[in-house]
Amino acid sequence: MTLEIEQFLHSERLPHIWCAGCGIGIVTGAFLRAAVDLGLKREETVVVGGIGCSSRAAGYVDLGSVHAIHGRALAFATGIKMARPDFTVIVVTGDGDGAAIGGNHLIHACRRNIDITCILFNNQIYGMTGGQLSPTMELGDRATTAPYGQAEPPFDLCRLAEAAGASFVARGTAAQIRPLEKLIKQGIQHPGFAFIEAVVPCPTEYGKRNKPASAVAMLDEEKARSVSKSKAATMSAEELADKIVTGILHRDVDAPEFQRTYAEMAARATAEAAERARAEAEQGAAAEAAEQAGQEED
Amino acid sequence: MELWHTHLLREQIDQTSMLVQGNRACALGALDAGVRFFAGYPITPSSEIMEAMAYELPRVGGVFVQMEDEIASICACIGASLAGQLAMTATSGPGFSLMQEAIGYAIMAEAPLVIVDVMRAGPSTGRPTAPSQGDVMQARWGTHGDHPAIVLAASNVADMYRLTMAAVRFGQRFRTPVTLLADEVVGHMRESFSPELASRYRLTSGDFDFTPGYVHPDLVREVHPPHVLGSKTHPHVTGLIHDETGFPANENAKSEQFLHELFDKVGNHRDELCLYDIKNEGKGRVCIVAYGSCARSARAAWKLADQEGLPVEVLHLYTLFPLPVEIIQTVARRVEFILIPELNLGQYAREVRKMAENWTTVISMGKVDGTLISPREILERVTQLVGKYETV
Repeated sequence: MTLEIEQFLHSERLPHIWCAGCGIGIVTGAFLRAAVDLGLKREETVVVGGIGCSSRAAGYVDLGSVHAIHGRALAFATGIKMARPDFTVIVVTGDGDGAAIGGNHLIHACRRNIDITCILFNNQIYGMTGGQLSPTMELGDRATTAPYGQAEPPFDLCRLAEAAGASFVARGTAAQIRPLEKLIKQGIQHPGFAFIEAVVPCPTEYGKRNKPASAVAMLDEEKARSVSKSKAATMSAEELADKIVTGILHRDVDAPEFQRTYAEMAARATAEAAERARAEAEQGAAAEAAEQAGQEED
Repeated sequence: MELWHTHLLREQIDQTSMLVQGNRACALGALDAGVRFFAGYPITPSSEIMEAMAYELPRVGGVFVQMEDEIASICACIGASLAGQLAMTATSGPGFSLMQEAIGYAIMAEAPLVIVDVMRAGPSTGRPTAPSQGDVMQARWGTHGDHPAIVLAASNVADMYRLTMAAVRFGQRFRTPVTLLADEVVGHMRESFSPELASRYRLTSGDFDFTPGYVHPDLVREVHPPHVLGSKTHPHVTGLIHDETGFPANENAKSEQFLHELFDKVGNHRDELCLYDIKNEGKGRVCIVAYGSCARSARAAWKLADQEGLPVEVLHLYTLFPLPVEIIQTVARRVEFILIPELNLGQYAREVRKMAENWTTVISMGKVDGTLISPREILERVTQLVGKYETV
């Protein structure tokens, strides 16, 4: 199986930059297996990343790949997808890149419901810059810029995405990688904006300042905190307080997708133009006929 | 190629010429040059460009998207450019500032792109409806790090048309973003205009083929092999210093070489990139070096000066960057004064001074009260400089 994903992997660029115990590689592997299963074509697939640990995944996949600027991966992806609707466009981003600096682009991509799949690796920390607080960090968690504990509440990104208009919203964890792989596959197949939050451990920058510290313990904890959407439906708000709800949280396959609505608008524009040209030609012909009639009378 | 896809504008035509607004002419130039992707964000005084594109592009199979901000706008344009589309955006000072980081990315990734900046008085919100040329140095050095820049300046409605086409072509040939500067007056004024006349235009710097119609120009030799998404090479594009494979290269020598190559592809082709026009060539004691709306006042001032027997020549620059070193130095060697009227506090005058001060006296004539510099004002300054000697 590992051999199969190698067709989409820049093996010559390994070893990767991710730390030991990092969850980003696990999720990147899940994406690659999904890509193999879906039979994605290299010339028609583009992976766009912003800046940060998770965005670097774009540099290891042997597909069309763009390593954009911080926070703007979705804006780049929107341009790519609109210019080439035939492409499969996947955005790999993190909680800092996608939800802090890029938060505005995220909600607008959701609102447009453009057919892009966004995998947001949520490790609740700025890893690449050395462990600063992130907008998905829990109250009280510690970071280099929250030395006394985070004083702000976190985003629930899936609720945000759904409220903003994403037509496919799902959450998975690095601890349960097969279900996450399936979610990614379903997200790519979904005709509209698919937002997938992948909860990943960052033992190096997050774990060492918060409990538990080790990669294995973090994965175990992720697993223990995870509940499926159906199970969550039977639980009280108190019971759900520190839980990670996983699975497809929202799906609407009939929501108007931007490529489609754009094409409909363009068809209207073309029809209006043709109609106007026809009316002008008719008017011209009528005027000519009237003129001729006038001449005959003379 | 059908040139007038444009019903909106066509209604106003009387076949040969029509009254067209500068911003609309810019949109027309873009369409006639083959631009088929526009992403933008509303901002005075440039919004008419995006409104025209919103009207025209969907009819011709193109894409128009109003993005959530200027950063998203230019990033979407870069994405489209990497996917092989001719892309353009338009903005004004505050939006241009927001775009700067991404402009650096486009330079680094060698993504062709046109950015139109219809300048308004700044800094900050400034005076949105007052003309200015305050973004000249931002256009040159706005993004961080050492980088090359191609910057053009439009002085009238016809320029908005033909220089937009030139910007598209330069962007394609040099694979880099090109900035077209206009000011509020150039963007909003209406003039009699015909694309045919606008494209038949001779410049002292040599004829530039402004013929409408998209031509895929050859790349200059210094450009790295382009990475276009969707090609068989399934490329990687990054803003990191990289080698010809597109992947990051951290070696010191390679980094330096890469940066020099970026500079050279522009710097080695100044003869092609530097568009200018000289009036009264070789006959002045004063040369007025001007661009944008000030160039029109300069041309008018020359005519007034001529009536009064004052020896004036005008160097009208259409390309601000790369610096037209050769022509500035040629002029500097033969005149006593170079006078630079501009709607800022001497941004371009400082550049000219660096090139010319060994040979001549460079005088900055800056104005930032939100009004244009009139021909009379220039004439007065010219008279102060050389008038009294003539009357002795």
